Amino acid sequence: MNIKKKENLAAYIFLAPALILLGLFLVYPSLLAIYYSFTDYYLLTPNDINIVWLENFIAIFKDPVFIQSLKNIALFVVLVIPIQVGAALGLALLINKQRKGNIFFKVAFFSPVVLSLVVISVLWLYLLNPSEGLINNILLNVGIDPQPFLSSPTQAMVTIVFVSAWQGAGYQMLIFLAGLQNIPGEVYEAGKIDGVNKWQKFYYITLPLLKPTSILIMITTLISAFKLIIQPMVMTQGGPMNATMTPVYYIYQSGFSDRMIGYASAMTVIFGIVIGIVTLIQSRVSREDDN
Amino acid sequence: MKKLSVLVGVVCAVLFLAACGSGGSSEANHNEIVVWFHTSLETPEGEAMQNTIDRFNEEYEGEYTATAEFVPRSGSGGGYEDKINAALTTDTLPDVLTLDGPNTAAYAESGIIAPVDEYLTNKDDLLPSIIEQGTYDDQMYGVGFSESGVGIFYNKQMFEQAGIDLETLPTVDEPWDWDQFIELNETLHNEFDKPVIDMGFDDKSEWLMYAFTPFLWSQGGDVVSEDGTTAEGVLNDENGVKAFTFIQDMVKNGYSTITPVEKGFHTGEYAMKLGGSWTIAELEEYPDIEYGVMPYPTSPDTGELVSPSGSWQYAMSASSEKQEAAGALIDFMVSTESLSEMSLANSVLPASYSAIDEITDEVSDEMNVLIEQNAASAQARPLLPNYPQVSRIFQDTISDTTYYEENSDIQALLDDKAAQIQSALD
Repeated sequence: MNIKKKENLAAYIFLAPALILLGLFLVYPSLLAIYYSFTDYYLLTPNDINIVWLENFIAIFKDPVFIQSLKNIALFVVLVIPIQVGAALGLALLINKQRKGNIFFKVAFFSPVVLSLVVISVLWLYLLNPSEGLINNILLNVGIDPQPFLSSPTQAMVTIVFVSAWQGAGYQMLIFLAGLQNIPGEVYEAGKIDGVNKWQKFYYITLPLLKPTSILIMITTLISAFKLIIQPMVMTQGGPMNATMTPVYYIYQSGFSDRMIGYASAMTVIFGIVIGIVTLIQSRVSREDDN
Repeated sequence: MKKLSVLVGVVCAVLFLAACGSGGSSEANHNEIVVWFHTSLETPEGEAMQNTIDRFNEEYEGEYTATAEFVPRSGSGGGYEDKINAALTTDTLPDVLTLDGPNTAAYAESGIIAPVDEYLTNKDDLLPSIIEQGTYDDQMYGVGFSESGVGIFYNKQMFEQAGIDLETLPTVDEPWDWDQFIELNETLHNEFDKPVIDMGFDDKSEWLMYAFTPFLWSQGGDVVSEDGTTAEGVLNDENGVKAFTFIQDMVKNGYSTITPVEKGFHTGEYAMKLGGSWTIAELEEYPDIEYGVMPYPTSPDTGELVSPSGSWQYAMSASSEKQEAAGALIDFMVSTESLSEMSLANSVLPASYSAIDEITDEVSDEMNVLIEQNAASAQARPLLPNYPQVSRIFQDTISDTTYYEENSDIQALLDDKAAQIQSALD
């Protein structure tokens, strides 16, 4: 009994640093945001905060820009997840097979992940420049008219999808690679004896055994996709015609340019609930698949 | 473990910084005041500010002492304003601070800054646009220490190539109207067969508010009503439609472009550029381009020349207990000598009539066109507590207008945006 108590105490002591930091930087700010969402907190009058209950929430549902930003992020998520995860899996399969020069390719595909998103965005801004950019020059050489990319309301978000997928895929590739290398060789040998072809090998052996890795990757990619802000901030400033305005970017603008912390907090709460629901549905769906 | 020690280090640093922050304003002596500047001491602007402070300390030796703190702001305006916001929560603002013109209303409304009228010995000398920008509720809160302006920069060689007689170009006294300006664009467009003016449509920032409101004002329109309460029926009235149609036509007819080549005017790609006083300094590095500056074109209906203006200002914090000293410092910093020094050092337009007289012989002809236009026609942006939102919606309106295929119905676009501004005002 006494020993158990002592062990418990030790456990709490070991947990304390993590708990204190999590509480200070995660739980406390989240609770504050929920509190502020019911107030009229204006950044310049921090000593004059009044409770306004649901006023912010009612205004948000009438705010065309916020609603547009929700539609935009839905489009982004729906496009970026298959592209980014698919690219990551493809790269991982290629590297897994290729034993020689393996490290070179790993570094090459992983390097965009290490670079700052701002740097990546600025680089692509130059590559995608309608008149001088490399991409349009290549297109021109193969006989395709120059594309407006970021300055077109219909192409801007799709362009950001590709840039983001290109930047992020290296990270998921590494996780997939680890997953692939965890698949025991005996399974493939057994398959060989049964005479499976390449496609069957991938579909009936690799894919099912990668499932736990895939679920992890899907959920983490989904959550980080929802947080899109840097690319539109640097590349399009949310334009053209709000086509690339995202909820997090709009929250940032409302809070820090417009100084409306209360309103921004309320959007954060709503958006947090949206992400929570989507993640919940996703983990349900993947668990049902299991059964 | 490494991560943990880093985190612990961060926590310690935060606590340490917080402890430092509380020492912001010294309460020891009623004659010692602290000033915050938004720039770096390394810049010409910062140097001029430090010089002014040094002269103040000499002049008022034994009476007042001012200490300057330089808090450089980042490109988007962060950094400095973050520090102000942090000081607000801890009540540690300095006695005197700088703020951007469009922030006057928000800061005054929130009780951060105090009126300075009674401390200004020569208020009538300040340009009307400076007084307009700093005045909220009939009291002057902020005093701009320089002015800014925008004009049409033109490439003399390209104009001559298109057969345009440079002698016939407009002046501040006799500006051209939009029709004449369009004709000029047409001539250039026929000669070069590509966009001929970079209007900065790709710069989705305050620029779109700052540089394009004069077109609306010249037509007699406005962003919001004078009392700052109404946008519906103001932005979207017939004047708004006319002004925005003119702006849209500039893109629709191919005279301007939404994706200009970077530094296109500087490298001879475009014959004209809607550029600010800072463009003059940039062009010093491109000696091959011979250029001139002409004033804004005016609405054919009114013929009224309107140009943009605005700058950072000095203000006194409302929480300062040394308002006498702070007032004396602000008055000193906007004296003819201080303002002239600022303009010459930083290549910006002077903020007072006497400073104009002082420096007009020392600056280029191009700068003088902007100075002249500024004194004759500068208008300050609207003074609204929720200016940031209003400005952003206006920026969107300009940007959307340039998508002429999607927004051929200007009235509908303006109705929509006016409603958005209205809900920001309510």
